[in-house]
Amino acid sequence: MGLSMLPLATGPAAAAERRPMPENARVYILWPADGQTIRGGFWVRMGLTEGGIAPAGVAKALTGHHHLLVNAELPPMDQPIPNDRNHLHFGLGQTEARLELPPGRHTLQLLLGDEEHVPHDPPLMSKRITITVLP
Amino acid sequence: MSITRRLLLLGTTVGVGAGRAMAQPQGQGHAHGAPATPAAPPAAQPGPRPRLPAPRDAYVYIGWPQDGQVISGTRFKVWFGTRNFGVAPAGVIKANTGHHHIIIDAPLPPLDQPIPNDRNHLHFGLGQTETMLDLSPGTHTLQLLMGDADHVPHDPPVMSKRITVTVRPGKPQAVAAGQAQ
Repeated sequence: MGLSMLPLATGPAAAAERRPMPENARVYILWPADGQTIRGGFWVRMGLTEGGIAPAGVAKALTGHHHLLVNAELPPMDQPIPNDRNHLHFGLGQTEARLELPPGRHTLQLLLGDEEHVPHDPPLMSKRITITVLP
Repeated sequence: MSITRRLLLLGTTVGVGAGRAMAQPQGQGHAHGAPATPAAPPAAQPGPRPRLPAPRDAYVYIGWPQDGQVISGTRFKVWFGTRNFGVAPAGVIKANTGHHHIIIDAPLPPLDQPIPNDRNHLHFGLGQTETMLDLSPGTHTLQLLMGDADHVPHDPPVMSKRITVTVRPGKPQAVAAGQAQ
């Protein structure tokens, strides 16, 4: 009995198990605003109401870290968020990011991920906003 | 396969720190914004320990409200800005991260000791990046100060300018700046 308990007690949760956040938690893009026109590089400010930010790899209940989807649809919610130029990870626990985007229209959306970059259940994401970058 | 790779690349972070995290002595400091008991300062520390380094360009600022702002309604949101630095809950040991403390109507505490935990020094040990404050009408000062896993400021300390706001009784304004969607 003791034998069977030991390894189980420390094992990490299965990757597919999605974690909860506080019921009233909300993720939003504080800046820029939807529809905003911007010239040059800019800072995206990421907002989280309720819950906390923890770096990737940190197992702590009711926390997560930000991912910024740039010109991308929402990825599958039961898998780690892709990591590429359209899915930026902020695994250090950052809440702001400097973006340089080519001129034109772009969409931005935040999606919170847990320690393993998997969205929570229910997923916490911002509204998808559209901005215009001027040449 | 690609998933595994990603986890390796990105998930390398803290395992170790998190494991140690819960063993930190100052468990009581993790309260959310809630004004805590008139906390006895954490005097049990054996003595100053080395402060964790912070990058020179790291800084925090109060994104809302602004310095000098007059706020209608005694309950308002404070948004914590953090640049070139990460947020991690109390107890998590990870380089270039920390968690916020907001100092209300008080001078900076000693920077080589854990930040006090009382109604003038609110801890955000879950890694919160904003809070709602309830302040009495009048003039108040607000300042953010990052603390490490043990609530000790970094070296150099990562702190905001101290701002002054005036709270007026009345109807709360529609949250703020870039607010909700």
